[in-house]
Amino acid sequence: MTALIQLSGITKVLKGQEQPRTILDGVGLEVFPGESIAIVGRSGSGKSTLLSVLGLFDRPDQGTYLLSGNDISRLPERRAAKLRSSHFGFVFQRFFLLKHLTAAQNVAMALVNGQGWLPRRERRARVMQALEQVGIAHLAKNRPARMSGGEQQRVAIARALVREPKILLADEPTGALDTETGALVIDALLGVTAHGCALILVTHDRDHAARMGRVLHLDAGVLTEQVAVGGTA
Amino acid sequence: MIRFSGRLRSALIIGLQGIRSRKLRTLLSMVSLFLGVLAVVVVQAGASIAERAVLADMELYDGFDGTVVMEMGGSSPKVEPIVLDTVAGRSDAVAMTGMQAIIGEPGVRPVNQGGGSFDDSWGGSPMICDEQGNCREQTPAELGPQGQAIELRLTALTGDVRQFRPYRPQAGQWLDFTSVPMMAPRLVLNKEAAKGFDRYKVPAEMRVPGASANMTPQFVGVVDDGDASPRAYVRLDELTQWVPAGKLVDPNMGEVRVLMSSGTPVEQVLTSKLKAVNIEPYVHIVNSREEQESELALMRWIFLAMAGLVLLIGVAGILNVGLATVGERVEEFALRRAVGTPRALLAGIVLAETLITGLLTAALAIGASAAALKALVTLAGDSQPFLQGVEFPWEAGVAGVIAGLVAGVLGGFVPAIRAAGIPIATVMRA
Ligand SMILES: Nc1ncnc2c1ncn2[C@@H]1O[C@H](COP(=O)(O)OP(=O)(O)O)[C@@H](O)[C@H]1O
Ligand SMILES: [Mg+2]
Repeated sequence: MTALIQLSGITKVLKGQEQPRTILDGVGLEVFPGESIAIVGRSGSGKSTLLSVLGLFDRPDQGTYLLSGNDISRLPERRAAKLRSSHFGFVFQRFFLLKHLTAAQNVAMALVNGQGWLPRRERRARVMQALEQVGIAHLAKNRPARMSGGEQQRVAIARALVREPKILLADEPTGALDTETGALVIDALLGVTAHGCALILVTHDRDHAARMGRVLHLDAGVLTEQVAVGGTA
Repeated sequence: MIRFSGRLRSALIIGLQGIRSRKLRTLLSMVSLFLGVLAVVVVQAGASIAERAVLADMELYDGFDGTVVMEMGGSSPKVEPIVLDTVAGRSDAVAMTGMQAIIGEPGVRPVNQGGGSFDDSWGGSPMICDEQGNCREQTPAELGPQGQAIELRLTALTGDVRQFRPYRPQAGQWLDFTSVPMMAPRLVLNKEAAKGFDRYKVPAEMRVPGASANMTPQFVGVVDDGDASPRAYVRLDELTQWVPAGKLVDPNMGEVRVLMSSGTPVEQVLTSKLKAVNIEPYVHIVNSREEQESELALMRWIFLAMAGLVLLIGVAGILNVGLATVGERVEEFALRRAVGTPRALLAGIVLAETLITGLLTAALAIGASAAALKALVTLAGDSQPFLQGVEFPWEAGVAGVIAGLVAGVLGGFVPAIRAAGIPIATVMRA
């Protein structure tokens, strides 16, 4: 099977300070369709930066990034936007819902983004399907202010799923939630891998990490594979 | 093409969504723009009304632009026959002779001796002048007792002067020059004279210098002639039944003036006839508009500056509403970019929001001010002639709309540009 994502030698240097600081140091990573990966590491170790590079929010300073075999290391913003829409879904610790829109409108936002046009009926069907997938179809007409944290995060997941992404990037999605709600959110995230979508989860929670297929450790910008997490340590 | 229409529709959908769901924000910027456009229109309409009012007043006082005015002193007895002969039967020239007249009880001192306005008290004794032009103050004995009489300036007309002087009718009628002259002279009063007759009950008996007897005038109407002193207008041919020829022009207080349309042969004929008897007439052409041009221009500039200021305040309001939500919008735009919305579409969303609210509001403001102006002209146009024909100041409306849109676009684009400049990762990290 060919890798969905192939990173090699990815380096990100933070400039603008007295001394340039290396945040990602020669990161290599292969991601296959349908697999789930946990990335763990201390605060400030570069996890969010890695997700930014993966999700095309940010460009690496060195190294190559192959997406389905195509080099996208230095992509112009317009094409990056297109790929974000067609390949990636994002979930953040803060939910980033637009508070003036309903749950359904927040989800539809990822569809009405200028990347192709869907008829209204199809749009609605896909929005409802995404909401059902995370178990909150009944909240479609609610605004974020009237939902719990777990519900809001699931709206954010539905928004990430509605375009049927090939890679779902989640940056500490349970960080603001209690244990029980967090587990529900992880359930929802893992559910998507059944359809062949890859999941990359940044988390501080050992239990959540343990539920992923692979666990990677990021330490001062260096990514290493951890074998047998929670097993024979 | 399909992609373009998809973006356009996306921009409209998202823009409308933003307008609908952020009602307070939308309302605030609409109010700001509404007031801005309204104020500019009002100020500009005010400017054009004020300009008309100024011009109307100048016309009332000086006559219509283009009127040729010829004046000659009344001191020579030769003036009267020459002028009256020349303008007789002409419709393009009217002679006006002025003299002092007293209406009321005989043998008393008029309440406004000297013919001044009824509200002014000039103090001092009036002057008396002899045939040689030597003047001195009248003694109390000469003044006689004050009584129920009014002194005014009587202007006798050889024809209808209103083609040159736009006197505004206030009550009754204007002089009828087509009918047979009457024995009891018909008088039209100006507003000040009418005020005097209203205030003091005086008997209708009129004395004029040189008249063979006192006459009984009939008051037929009141006009506004722009003069603050009491005046009355009379047909010359009704006055000549009482005042013999040669006495129509009082050597002391008399004056003769001929108003004519430009290009009439009367001017030439009259000038040469007068020159033949060594009288040099003073001729000028009414040109109030041009004379007042710099004043009007200054007024226009002041109003324009006011309109600009008002608009600036409205613009600041819109900008303020836009900027107040920068933080929220920066996050929204970063999020939209994260899910793949191209920057061009973000610009489209801002534009759509702005144009929809801006055009709607501007249409409302222009509609409201046009309706208000129309109502004002309809209600008050009859009594205020300068309101007649006041047009809606479209330039002002358009300027207001453009400024409003510019403000809206700025208020919307400042956050949009900031959002486009900040890396998504930075916004999403927070
Ligand atoms: N835009 C930025 N400005 C300043 N420092 C940054 C920026 N982006 C990343 N960093 C720094 O890079 C390091 C890695 O950050 P991050 O990727 O957020 O780590 P993590 O997600 O693992 O906590 C941190 O030391 C952080 O301070
Ligand atoms: Mg982080």
